[in-house]
Amino acid sequence: MDLTEKLVPLRKGLLEFVILKIVAGDKVYVADMLKLLGPTEFATQEGTLYPLLSKLRREELVDYEWQESEAGPPRKYYKLTAKGRTQLSTLNDYWKNLNRTLADFGN
Amino acid sequence: MQKVVSISLNGNSYQLEEPGYEELRVYLDRAEARLADSPDRSEVMADLEQAIGEKCRAVLGPHKSVVSAAEISGIIREMGPVESPDGKPADAGFAPGEAPGPTPGLHPRKRLFKIREGQMWAGVCNGVAAYINVDVTWVRIAVALLTLFSGGGVLLVYIVLAFIVPYADTAEDRAAAFGMPFNTEELIKSAKKNFEEFGDKYRWRREWRRQQRHWNRQFRHMNEQLRVATAQAAPIASQTARAIGSVFVPIAALVGAILFVAWILAMFSLVTQHTIFGWPLPYHIPMWVGLLALVMLYLVISGPLRMIRHGGQQAGGHHPGWGLLHGLMWIGFTALLFWAAYNFFPGVRELIDQLMWAANLTATTISETIV
Repeated sequence: MDLTEKLVPLRKGLLEFVILKIVAGDKVYVADMLKLLGPTEFATQEGTLYPLLSKLRREELVDYEWQESEAGPPRKYYKLTAKGRTQLSTLNDYWKNLNRTLADFGN
Repeated sequence: MQKVVSISLNGNSYQLEEPGYEELRVYLDRAEARLADSPDRSEVMADLEQAIGEKCRAVLGPHKSVVSAAEISGIIREMGPVESPDGKPADAGFAPGEAPGPTPGLHPRKRLFKIREGQMWAGVCNGVAAYINVDVTWVRIAVALLTLFSGGGVLLVYIVLAFIVPYADTAEDRAAAFGMPFNTEELIKSAKKNFEEFGDKYRWRREWRRQQRHWNRQFRHMNEQLRVATAQAAPIASQTARAIGSVFVPIAALVGAILFVAWILAMFSLVTQHTIFGWPLPYHIPMWVGLLALVMLYLVISGPLRMIRHGGQQAGGHHPGWGLLHGLMWIGFTALLFWAAYNFFPGVRELIDQLMWAANLTATTISETIV
């Protein structure tokens, strides 16, 4: 297994965390999320993002509201729920701890 | 020139070039298969359809109303493979560019349908044969034998199936009935394959087909001539037929409905009380023969009625009154033939009586052997 293959599950696992972080800001539309993720290591496509968002909604971590758009039908804008916010801060703490642990082991 | 397919994505209609439509259909089928275990399936599918619709709208303009196949390919690439986050681990990684290939979920699920082509009664045996993928003759033999040995139970199953199983009337239904992929490309491929096998193994059969085609052509030609002749000669006749049709079609429908109710009641009374509206079956006729006779009777009477209704509804092609006349003629002809034969030909009368007697005897013998 080469290195890039090893990194795939790592990124995959972190994507949910990243999405929560993005949604924590302003209400966002899927196309905006894709634009934000595009230039990063987490570049994603609709095929992955929509199922993930539906799952997060089922777990009541995010919610959406319909908003009219200038062109075309109304769009779903996602935002973080209270439950999502607690989980995000837990995840943040966990991530910091993880970083510290990694740093403690030395180079 | 490209053929265009109209589709609806989440409530909005779009026009796609046919190859593009095929590609998109495959993509969405595959997505649905991937999400089969997900409780969010319908929601995600709606989201995907909307996203695709938006991308389609982006490439359309005031002077461009059709999405090209190449544009659909691009849109599908942009969408990326659909992965279920809580399903089994997807085979493809994070990165886009999954190699397209057949997946198990791609083919439409096989479903039980009634099939009209080559049906004997309602097309149930035909549908079952297609469903379990054996020759229809075997199914028919099995049904006949089982009917004999189950004392009519299987016949009831047949009747129930005839009423609840739908006909395969669209191309997609038919594909689902045979469990074949409904995809132009695949259809052509399988047709080609069949043709090649056919060519080697069944040369004599091909000859026979060719001869048949030739006859068919001649027959069609003759029909065409006949049609032209009648069309020239009979605008009045067809008007009359249409007028009669408009009166008779509702009547035929009403009679058909009454007949159907009466038939159901008769079946019911035969099963529960062993009489048909108070008329008991002769003691040596077993119940399943009675049921069979009722079914036959119903089919014989309702067939021409159905013909009238369908002929009356048929628009264009034939004259609207044609089916009606045909049906009426058929009823009258059959009735007249029977009546005349029974009354004027002692030989026929004897033969029919003897046949009835023989049928009764056979039925009694069979039922006695079984019991």
